[in-house]
Amino acid sequence: MQPIDPEHHDGTSDATPGGAPDRRRPGELAFAGALLAASLGLLYSAYGISGFEALSAPGSVPMATTLVMVVTAALVLLRTARLPLDRAETLAKDILPLTVVLFAVALVLYGVLLRPLGFLPTSALFLVGAVKYLSRRGWAWTLAVSLGSLIVIWLIFRIVFSVLMPAGILPEAEVIQLFRDLLQGDAPQ
Amino acid sequence: MSVLADVLTVVTQPQLLLLVGLGTFAGVYVGAIPGLSVTMAVSILISFTFSWDVYPAISLMIGIYMGGVYGGSRTAILLNIPGAPSAIATALDGYPMALRGEAGTAIGVTTVMSFIGGFIGIGVLALAAPLVSDFALRFQPRDYMLLAVLGILLVGSLSQGSLLKGIFAGALGIAIGAVGRDPLTFAERFTFDFQILEGGISFIAVMIGMFGVSEALGQLHHVDKDAVRQKISRIVPSLSTVRKHLPLSLQTSSIGVVIGALPGTGGDIAALMAYDHAKRVTKNPERPFGEGAMEGLVAPETANNAAVGGAFIPMMTLGIPGDAVTAIMIGALFIHGLNPGPMLMIDQPDMFWFIVGALVMANCFMLLFGLTGIRLFTRIVEMPRSVLIPMIMLLSIVGAYAVNNSVTDVYWMLGFGVFGYFMRHYGYPLGPVILGVILSRLLDDNWRRAIISEREDLGRFFEGIVTSPLSLVLFVSVILIFVSQTPVWAKAKARVFGRKGEQQ
Repeated sequence: MQPIDPEHHDGTSDATPGGAPDRRRPGELAFAGALLAASLGLLYSAYGISGFEALSAPGSVPMATTLVMVVTAALVLLRTARLPLDRAETLAKDILPLTVVLFAVALVLYGVLLRPLGFLPTSALFLVGAVKYLSRRGWAWTLAVSLGSLIVIWLIFRIVFSVLMPAGILPEAEVIQLFRDLLQGDAPQ
Repeated sequence: MSVLADVLTVVTQPQLLLLVGLGTFAGVYVGAIPGLSVTMAVSILISFTFSWDVYPAISLMIGIYMGGVYGGSRTAILLNIPGAPSAIATALDGYPMALRGEAGTAIGVTTVMSFIGGFIGIGVLALAAPLVSDFALRFQPRDYMLLAVLGILLVGSLSQGSLLKGIFAGALGIAIGAVGRDPLTFAERFTFDFQILEGGISFIAVMIGMFGVSEALGQLHHVDKDAVRQKISRIVPSLSTVRKHLPLSLQTSSIGVVIGALPGTGGDIAALMAYDHAKRVTKNPERPFGEGAMEGLVAPETANNAAVGGAFIPMMTLGIPGDAVTAIMIGALFIHGLNPGPMLMIDQPDMFWFIVGALVMANCFMLLFGLTGIRLFTRIVEMPRSVLIPMIMLLSIVGAYAVNNSVTDVYWMLGFGVFGYFMRHYGYPLGPVILGVILSRLLDDNWRRAIISEREDLGRFFEGIVTSPLSLVLFVSVILIFVSQTPVWAKAKARVFGRKGEQQ
């Protein structure tokens, strides 16, 4: 079958999982090495569960799977090491551009701020920052698009799916109650 | 008669019908927008719908599944960017057709063909699943175990990637699924003495990370790609066109159903294999493949929608997912306290027939939305990625948080997102990881049951495999997959066919 490669071998599905079959992408060897090391660590940990006590022991399947991981990771490492390095690609351009690193950091920050600050303020900060950075358009457009979509998302979650996110510094529940009371024409309780 | 009533549940309850319709509508757009995939949408939806009843939740997911598998074709035709993985092959001939100004015809044909494929898939599901589930009652624990292993191996062996990496991904998934206290003996597994790991890793966090965040991070490479406008002409295809391609569509639908029904492999792989098949059997296409051959549209589009029905067969009858989306749906049923497998088919046949009914309605909605609303469609698809990517990330975080109200899950999700990002770039498939996570418990339980019933004797275990026809077939399939990847196979093939064996 003729290989089909839609998006610069970055992997889109199980049918076309990405990677370059005949070349080694930058960082691929290090990744394969890290996987082997992690698999060895997991195999050791699996051995610690119940050792070779019995075939039906809680550690048997974990030991078998981690052994498979070690063997496949080692074979992948060997094959990868034999492939010629792809000189046309660089780690900073094709694998891990600055944008991706920035976004990964921003997502972790989001996780850190979510509880103390609450869902709406954290998401507003994230969306405004991210949309501004990616679109490089004016502030008015950025604010309108990101805050507008945040409100839509929040309404859908809160009303349709009744998902509760951390309220944080905004008195979210009180605002909703106020609206409910207004709609029903009742006096606030 | 009760079967008919169950099938019609979805029609008699307007709320469910509305949800299927909404789901299909959303699915067509989710599928069409590059960067949004069905797997992503369904995994995020699990966490939003878990407070709902099971029927509405399943209705929505089925709509999104059916619509999403089809929706990818539109962007493949109009922009040469497959909107969803199952439309990768559609772009090969769909885009050249659009360049000739036949975008409308191409969209019309794909819609009708997806509809035909979808119905064949559902038909096979309705006919085969009850038979398979009767048969499944006779499955031994070792058969379940072998089926689970087979499913994980099939993805790696039928895709264009490396089988080794596929096996690694599957084993990793099984290991992730084993984290926490063992349900039988309460022994700690892979917890490294952290209390937080004792309850295991939330599989929803793994799914959303792998299919949501890793995809969004990957899309950051393509922020600046522009959308290209195409003029769209007449859409509804003529009856003669449909009739002409009916024989091929029946063949490729069968490929789709079979690939869908095989554990693990879904529409994306089915579409590529069907395209390959069409290329081999079409002797005199009106235009060469790759330059706008109609057959190149018919084959993948029938196959990927036929695979939807197919994928439900192992899911409903055995509790073994037919592809990544059904893996996620099994997770959703778990959350709702249902355990898919032969007993579910016997205890709650209404659930099965309801799903069949919902699929039929989703398929009809797909035809309806497919042949209308093109103007609205082109607007929505032009949504800039600079807005779309942050939104996917936000939805992923909310989805991961909402299940357990836990920030830890968010960190797991982010961790697996970054890990999945690297896996994609280096050619490791993500589907087997999810299959492994979902199948981990089934594999472990059945292995232990099997080996205990053989009094811990491996010799007796293999004797059992060799003497039972079913186990033997499964076991030989597993071995064949391994052999097919070795040089021995290529040599044997060369000897049999008298030419050099094709490398995968």
